[in-house]
Amino acid sequence: MLKLGSYPGQRMLSPERLALPDYDYLAQRHVLTYMEDAVCQLLENKEDISQYGIARFFTEYFNSVCQGTHILFREFSFIQATPHNRASFLRAFWRCFRTVGKNGDLLTMKEYHCLLQLLCPDFPLELTQKAARIVLMDDAMDCLMSFSDFLFAFQIQFYYSEFLESVAAIYQDLLSGKNPNTVIVPTSSSGQHRQRPAVGEASLPEGVEASLFSQCLENLCDRHKYSCPPPALVKEVLSNVQRLTFYGFLMALSKHHGINQALGALPDRGDLMHDPAMDEELERLVMRSRLHRTSRQHRATEPGAFGFQRRDKLEAPENMLSASAPTPYPYRWEPRE
Amino acid sequence: MDCQAEVNCGLHLVIQTSSLPEKNKVEFRLNKETSSFPGRLLQHDLERNYSSRQGDHINLVSSSMPSFPILQRSSEEKILYSDRLTLERQKLTVCPVIDGEEHLRLLNFQHNFITRIQNISNLQRLIFLDLYDNQIEEISGLSTLRSLRVLLLGKNRIKKISNLENLKSLDVLDLHGNQITKIENVNHLCALRVLNLARNLLSHVDNLTGLDSLTELNLRHNQITFVRDVDNLPCLQRLFLSFNNISNFESVCCLADSASLSDITFDGNPIAQESWYKHTVLQNMMQLRQLDMKRVTEEERRMASLVAKKEEEKKRESHKQSLLKEKKRLTINNVARKWDLQQHRVTSIATNQDRKDTDSPSQDSCQMDGSTISAFPEETGPLDPVLTNALQGLSVTDTHLVEVEGDTLSLYGSGALESLDRNWSVQTAGMVTTVSFTFIEFDEIVQVLPKLKMKFPNSLHLKFKETNLVMLQQFNALAQLRRIDQLTIDPQGNPVVNFTLWKYYVLFRLSHFSMQKINGTEVTQNDMIMAERLFGILAHVASSELPQYRVISILGDARKKQFRYLQETKGKKPGIVNEENNDSKRLVGENTNRAMLNYTTRDFYNEKLEEIKEKKKFCQMYIEDLVKEATEINKKNEALQKLWPQMFIELVRDAVIEIRSKNSYMKLCLQQITDQK
Repeated sequence: MLKLGSYPGQRMLSPERLALPDYDYLAQRHVLTYMEDAVCQLLENKEDISQYGIARFFTEYFNSVCQGTHILFREFSFIQATPHNRASFLRAFWRCFRTVGKNGDLLTMKEYHCLLQLLCPDFPLELTQKAARIVLMDDAMDCLMSFSDFLFAFQIQFYYSEFLESVAAIYQDLLSGKNPNTVIVPTSSSGQHRQRPAVGEASLPEGVEASLFSQCLENLCDRHKYSCPPPALVKEVLSNVQRLTFYGFLMALSKHHGINQALGALPDRGDLMHDPAMDEELERLVMRSRLHRTSRQHRATEPGAFGFQRRDKLEAPENMLSASAPTPYPYRWEPRE
Repeated sequence: MDCQAEVNCGLHLVIQTSSLPEKNKVEFRLNKETSSFPGRLLQHDLERNYSSRQGDHINLVSSSMPSFPILQRSSEEKILYSDRLTLERQKLTVCPVIDGEEHLRLLNFQHNFITRIQNISNLQRLIFLDLYDNQIEEISGLSTLRSLRVLLLGKNRIKKISNLENLKSLDVLDLHGNQITKIENVNHLCALRVLNLARNLLSHVDNLTGLDSLTELNLRHNQITFVRDVDNLPCLQRLFLSFNNISNFESVCCLADSASLSDITFDGNPIAQESWYKHTVLQNMMQLRQLDMKRVTEEERRMASLVAKKEEEKKRESHKQSLLKEKKRLTINNVARKWDLQQHRVTSIATNQDRKDTDSPSQDSCQMDGSTISAFPEETGPLDPVLTNALQGLSVTDTHLVEVEGDTLSLYGSGALESLDRNWSVQTAGMVTTVSFTFIEFDEIVQVLPKLKMKFPNSLHLKFKETNLVMLQQFNALAQLRRIDQLTIDPQGNPVVNFTLWKYYVLFRLSHFSMQKINGTEVTQNDMIMAERLFGILAHVASSELPQYRVISILGDARKKQFRYLQETKGKKPGIVNEENNDSKRLVGENTNRAMLNYTTRDFYNEKLEEIKEKKKFCQMYIEDLVKEATEINKKNEALQKLWPQMFIELVRDAVIEIRSKNSYMKLCLQQITDQK
């Protein structure tokens, strides 16, 4: 059993952390989520894991949590569960499909959704749609989007989903003239109070006033339990404009360097296509596949029985499941009784 | 005394003449062969004395009129041959004026150069007029010859049949060897028995009404393509159509209706070259006695009816085939409509509910009656009232179709997937190289892929149309097959084709198949490299960065599903066991880093998640308990930490107090020891 009191490192024992009551602390760090998930995984794969020991399993599990690979091919409910999961997922998506972006292809919202589904089979369409709306400013939803545009907008939408929902509610309130703040500031903006949404918005200036909006958001950030972007940066975004629309605001958030860095999942926009380690690996893979293809083509000229020929293991997979796997798991290659 | 003149072309001519000695047999020969034309003669040669065979002495004296010579006969001649006059080969260019011969009944102008029929209007007793082999261009000058019975105008230059109105007694009309293009103006000749129009320019035969006595019609050597009106000839016995352009029996079908016909010739026509010629004619003209101048035997008639029966059989066979095709087409249409309805229902549901939880649309029972359809008023187009009526009628036909044509197995409708369970003969199954799926949900197809692999091992080309391929992930499911050379995804009903990257993804995920063609286009080295470039990292991450236990569990899942089928069937046979071994080994040999990328159909996935829920709940509770314990212990620990200094001091103090007086302490210890015992 893990002893919770014995974490190494000085800052672990800082007074604020220890000041929190147990459950709060655990909840804040989402420790229980990972514990539950670990045990659940253990249960699911009892037979396989019992082969090499539970201790090793837990090591691997938490290592993968730290590395951010624990969310690969997991169900959406798990991916959404903690901010760390979300960030890891974003990072994984970036790493896996950076090449698509590098290739310069512009894809539709549906296709990006497809790519997301490759990593998470039950990823909901609404999230992707909302992300696309940010990029396209709620316009033609069939438009093509670039990889970087989509990725950054998706980051904001996915990581801060709950926050954004509240922001949307606030925005609607402001549009319709209801001020969520209890304090009514009798300034020129009070003219907004009398406006009804039924009076065509086109005749009014678009969006809401930035300063008022900023105030509301500040209150929201204070109240919010969920993660929200650093309030200082939000204020920065809002201080640059006089008025702004909902999607304008979100777009500004997605483009903001500081917020991206605060999140820590993705590199800066300028460096988005840049990942030398992966590129090297990719070159190796491409080279290997080239060799494969030519050698297979040679063999393709002599068909065997049924026109199919056995493929010998040309490649020696480095860190992949090797073909010697049958030995530790012999039962796999026989029919189950 | 009767004089019989035998004529080569089958003319039987009887002429009543005045008494004549036997030796003076009159011979009229109508030649069919063209004799060489003598050169054109000038009029002034008319004076030459040329004695004819008959020995008539003819004197042609040029008259005062420069064009028409006048004919005079000696009075002995006139008495001897009072009713006949022969002016054969007289080099005549015009008809001479014949005076004083009003009793003439026979007039012979054969082999001359006469261009116009003239100067014979006064011979009103004429019965027989022979103008064979002249240069007559138009029938004229005959309007007074009301008694004429035989008119021979063969081998002239006549272009049109005309001016025969008054010749109501005409018995024989010979117009062979002319340039006539049309049969006309003969409808009043109700006494006509023989009509010869051979060697003309006729292209068709009609307008034969009114010839109520016609027995023989000679149309040889024309360009006739079709024949009509022959059934309006009540007496016609002999019809000669040799050397024309008749190519099928339909163009002469009126002959079948002629009860009187007994003798017909078709030789030299294209129809006579056909294999079915004889028996078709015989079958259609049962009344025939002679065909192409040969008697029709009973044997031939029997053969003809036999062959006709066989033809009937063949026709019925092909009719059946076309019926079958029609049924197939209807079935496919039926399946298509059912599919459409399903799809429409899906779209209307999806707009209302959360898409995540929508079950597979094939679960919805699709009723074919109109009431269900009217529930979706927003659907226009394909669901008009006519169609719903048709649908009600169609609900009786099959709802799926399985077809094997040579090397292609075609499946329409989800019901067709069950046919894979059938016992296919090894030969049929071995020949199938292409499998085509239409109007079936891809998720359903995925479940039968193991079966397909087993039963049709040679299937190299897969085609999908209207199968609801929407995600790239679905292609992962195809990796379990043995091999695919070609893949065809029809854009109709498969939205995945609209994605820019779908082909590359397919090439990437199914790279171990080394596919040759996708949707008809060859796969190039560049395509493969691009595919690798685009998605190679995904595979790398999927395989190398997953913790070991995840790798095993994912692979295990995939194997489990495949083995599920094999176990359910005759998995106990040793042969199958080896198959499995080979299969699995092969799978390992394949690019295992891709093997991570699987596809579970939505149903299975949701099922799995449901199963996990229980476990999750248990884990939650278990962890809660653990946490409770741990926090309690932590609390106790913290409390202990807090209290410890105090406790320690107390302990020490107590101990010190105890040991203060050595004696009492020793006593106490001894007491304790004895108490213990």
